Amino acid sequence: MLKKIIVIICSILLFFLLYFLQSNVFSWFHIAGIKPNLFIILILYMGLFIGKGFGFTMGATWGILLDILSGRIIGINGIMLGIIGWLGGYLDKKFSKDSKLTIILMIVGATILFELGICILQGMFLGSSISIPYFLRTIIIESIYNIILFIIFYPILKKLGYYVQDVFKGNHILTRYF
Amino acid sequence: MYRKNTTGIIGIIVTIIILILVVIFSNINNNNLSYIESAVSTVVMPIQSGLAYLKNKIAGNTSFFTDMETLKKENEELKQKNTELEQSLRELEMIKAENAELREYSAMMDQYSEYETIPANVINKDISNYSRVFVLNAGTKHGVQEEMAVISESGLVGHIISVTENTSKVQTIIDPASSVSSTISTSRDGIVCKGDLEGSNQLRATYIPTDANLLQGDRIETSGMGGIYPKGILVGTIKEIKNTQNITDRYAIIETAVDFDKLETVLIIK
Repeated sequence: MLKKIIVIICSILLFFLLYFLQSNVFSWFHIAGIKPNLFIILILYMGLFIGKGFGFTMGATWGILLDILSGRIIGINGIMLGIIGWLGGYLDKKFSKDSKLTIILMIVGATILFELGICILQGMFLGSSISIPYFLRTIIIESIYNIILFIIFYPILKKLGYYVQDVFKGNHILTRYF
Repeated sequence: MYRKNTTGIIGIIVTIIILILVVIFSNINNNNLSYIESAVSTVVMPIQSGLAYLKNKIAGNTSFFTDMETLKKENEELKQKNTELEQSLRELEMIKAENAELREYSAMMDQYSEYETIPANVINKDISNYSRVFVLNAGTKHGVQEEMAVISESGLVGHIISVTENTSKVQTIIDPASSVSSTISTSRDGIVCKGDLEGSNQLRATYIPTDANLLQGDRIETSGMGGIYPKGILVGTIKEIKNTQNITDRYAIIETAVDFDKLETVLIIK
């Protein structure tokens, strides 16, 4: 139980670290003006290694915090990151997360889903007009950027992922088969 | 197992519905949430300000060194001149140069002297790729209110969309949700400038009157309509005119006067 609480506290600290990275560092290190989205990768990972419910809760909470800090409408990021977290848990049951390629494909899928959702919700609530060529370009560049960052951090993410899975699920994986 | 799954899905659907309701209610009345916003920004603001300060310091330092080099060069040149020219002539030249610089400065001050302004720094930029919202380090404590216009020394930046005690969010004119009612300074034709994400410093001018005469390089100013932006603030210049088959659909690309990538200090018009 104590370990679980420590993991949750660490994830909150991680959120702020990512937020500062995303809002400061990536406003300099962008590709053609397009920033990556580290939150998608992390929330997907949480869903994959901890479960649907946890992924959804963390995604929704982080998303709402992001909306409060830098967005305009509370809930847009909340809904989309929540869905990504849930999707991570769902995909865990369907695919193996040991293969790097599977996770890369998942990240691409999650990035497309997230950006599409944000675009539609922003268009609905703010009347933002986003052109289709720009949207497609953003999705492609952002997916590539996310993949590059994922490959760089893969060794750490893998170790952390299995550690956190042990903390949360323990022996549950084995009992599933008996 | 099956029951558990279905209840889990129902739970998630209910949460999604609640989140959608949160979105809708937050649109109806944003004031209810501002105290949460205030609390969160109070925690984050000092770190954010610190990081912005560091960034500015680093960016400032590089220009400082280049300035030093140019100054050294100038100094050497002046020393050489000193041997050649008489003392009085040199003094006269220095006064001349200083005079020109001061004139330029006072012209800039006069441009915005009619407005009462609050200075602020940009401390954070939007994390999303689909919106261009900046966070400033001035809030209600400094007298900032919603819907105040924000300018920089080179032109229009945007307007305030939400305020907390110490911070405020600016929707810049390059945001896709922004549209500014403007006029072409030469022909006085009215147009609407919408945010365009294609370039970091460009707008798309639409609703161009069919009889309007557009020229590349024309200056675009705010028209004062709409009640947010005061009249006569420079928005940008026409970069390109795109003619379509139907003349009513034609649009122009406008290059903003403000460089949003390097924007650091702004003025909020009271």
